[in-house]
Amino acid sequence: MLPRHARIVARLLERLPGVGERTATRYVLHLLAEDPALSQALGDALRELHARVRGCARCGNLAEVVPGLEASPICEICADGRRDASVLCVVARVQDLAAIERSGAMRGRYFVLGRLVSPLEGVGPEDLPLERLRARIAEDGVKEVIIATPPSVDGEATSLFLARELAALGLSISRIASGVPHGSELEYADQVTLGRAIAGRKSLG
Amino acid sequence: MTSNATLGIHRLEVRDFRNLEAQVVELGPRFNVLAGENGQGKTNLLEALYVATTTRSFRTSTLGDCVRHDAASAFARIRVLDDRQPGVARIQSVELDGQGAGRRKVQLDGKRPPTLAEYALATPIVLFEPASLALSQGGAADRRRLLDRVAIHLAARHGGGAELLVDLERYRRAHGHRKKALERAMDARVLDPYERLMAEHGVRIVRARREAAEALAGRVVAGFEAIATAPLRLEIAYAPKAPEDVDAFSALLAERRELDARRGSATRGPHLDDLAFLLGGRPARQVASQGQHRALVLALKGAELAAIAEAREVEPILLLDDVSSELDPRRNAALFAFLHAQVGQVVLTTTRPELIEIAGDRRDFDVVAGLVRPR
Ligand SMILES: [Zn+2]
Repeated sequence: MLPRHARIVARLLERLPGVGERTATRYVLHLLAEDPALSQALGDALRELHARVRGCARCGNLAEVVPGLEASPICEICADGRRDASVLCVVARVQDLAAIERSGAMRGRYFVLGRLVSPLEGVGPEDLPLERLRARIAEDGVKEVIIATPPSVDGEATSLFLARELAALGLSISRIASGVPHGSELEYADQVTLGRAIAGRKSLG
Repeated sequence: MTSNATLGIHRLEVRDFRNLEAQVVELGPRFNVLAGENGQGKTNLLEALYVATTTRSFRTSTLGDCVRHDAASAFARIRVLDDRQPGVARIQSVELDGQGAGRRKVQLDGKRPPTLAEYALATPIVLFEPASLALSQGGAADRRRLLDRVAIHLAARHGGGAELLVDLERYRRAHGHRKKALERAMDARVLDPYERLMAEHGVRIVRARREAAEALAGRVVAGFEAIATAPLRLEIAYAPKAPEDVDAFSALLAERRELDARRGSATRGPHLDDLAFLLGGRPARQVASQGQHRALVLALKGAELAAIAEAREVEPILLLDDVSSELDPRRNAALFAFLHAQVGQVVLTTTRPELIEIAGDRRDFDVVAGLVRPR
């Protein structure tokens, strides 16, 4: 049995994904056995985490907050001038963006929805950042939108919904090919599969 | 008879599965008769075999119920001899978590299978239990499940069994979303996508069920005529409750929004499908005698076995629970004729083993207080 404060730390660690009681205890014992500087550094870094990293004001990706510009942080991808501004890839979550980035198949920029349409969970169109998406398309002169929501029922429904919503803008709209295994999260799809899914995207008219 | 390969569970290892003691049971390749008083664990053993082959139970949807009350998990592992893969036994195991929703850990030949469908399709199995008698007289849900079981094996012939399971699951989810969206008075922008998805998955379900109904119909009629003495003609018709075209189906759903909102559920779609039985031109449900219902169910089960055998080129394993409740001398003959017609492995339970008229390749077991012993 751990002493009280060690137990508190273990309980907090247990709230992280994939960390159970045993792993949390192992982490705490490890930290206690290591140089106290490690715990100190970890604590300091965690304390600053939310202040230093926020959602990108343009795409929703994670961005480093620059002092003086706290209100609208811009992520590395949005700031990268070599990216093709005319191609926009719409994803559900930051994790999906990261997976597509790892595949190296996307030369444009991204837009993170943050959630999918899901009546069963009470999520309707008004809960999606549609206005921000339209504004982004207009500002950047986007010509092609690639919808890369996951191949689940919610992901497919959101894709159909977005294609309809954006239809009037006269863009090329496509959906990534279903090379991604059914029911699996994009996050877990391997890079080759994802690369092919993007290359083989199908037009939604 | 057929030239199909044979399939058999050669050995079952169980631990903490309901009242079953930790033990190894060696089954015979043909008839296995499990005898015992009620409550000793006969059905638990069939359930363990069923869970180990399908990852599901036929008695509960909460798999945690299968875990012995003082244990953390229940475990069942089978060693399957399959002529289609001669030389190597297939090892399938399922471990059920007793905590919470009852998570399951499945392994096929020591590895986690890519999908549960791949696991559940490996060893075709057919269950005949007292509740199967509802197939002819009860609600349509049981008949839809029969169609789906056969359809999945037909699809598996071309490697599509997993896709059909995905269609069924996604149709159900899209239907649930549409129901909720109607309830919350969401507009066409939300309803259109779900109706489209219902139609895409629904049309594939209807197509697969039609194929399953065709595979069953002739066999059921022949089986029924062989058993039933009445001169009434049996007809079987698959009655899909949706158009078999994606655009027509989604247009129909769009038209019926108001009605469906009032009813609280879609009034068209494969979730309402049925397999209709007509006896002498009239619904069997209304005109069939108890004996005819029983003959129809036997014929349905025989057809299920034969259709799956043809699709998978292997004789499915038959699990038959509680035949002793069927032991009415006048009706025995049909049941034993049915059993004798089976060429694959059969595992059956009974409280009266002396009445089971099966000679030949037969292995008897006594089930007492959770222990299964060869007699
Ligand atoms: Zn950005």
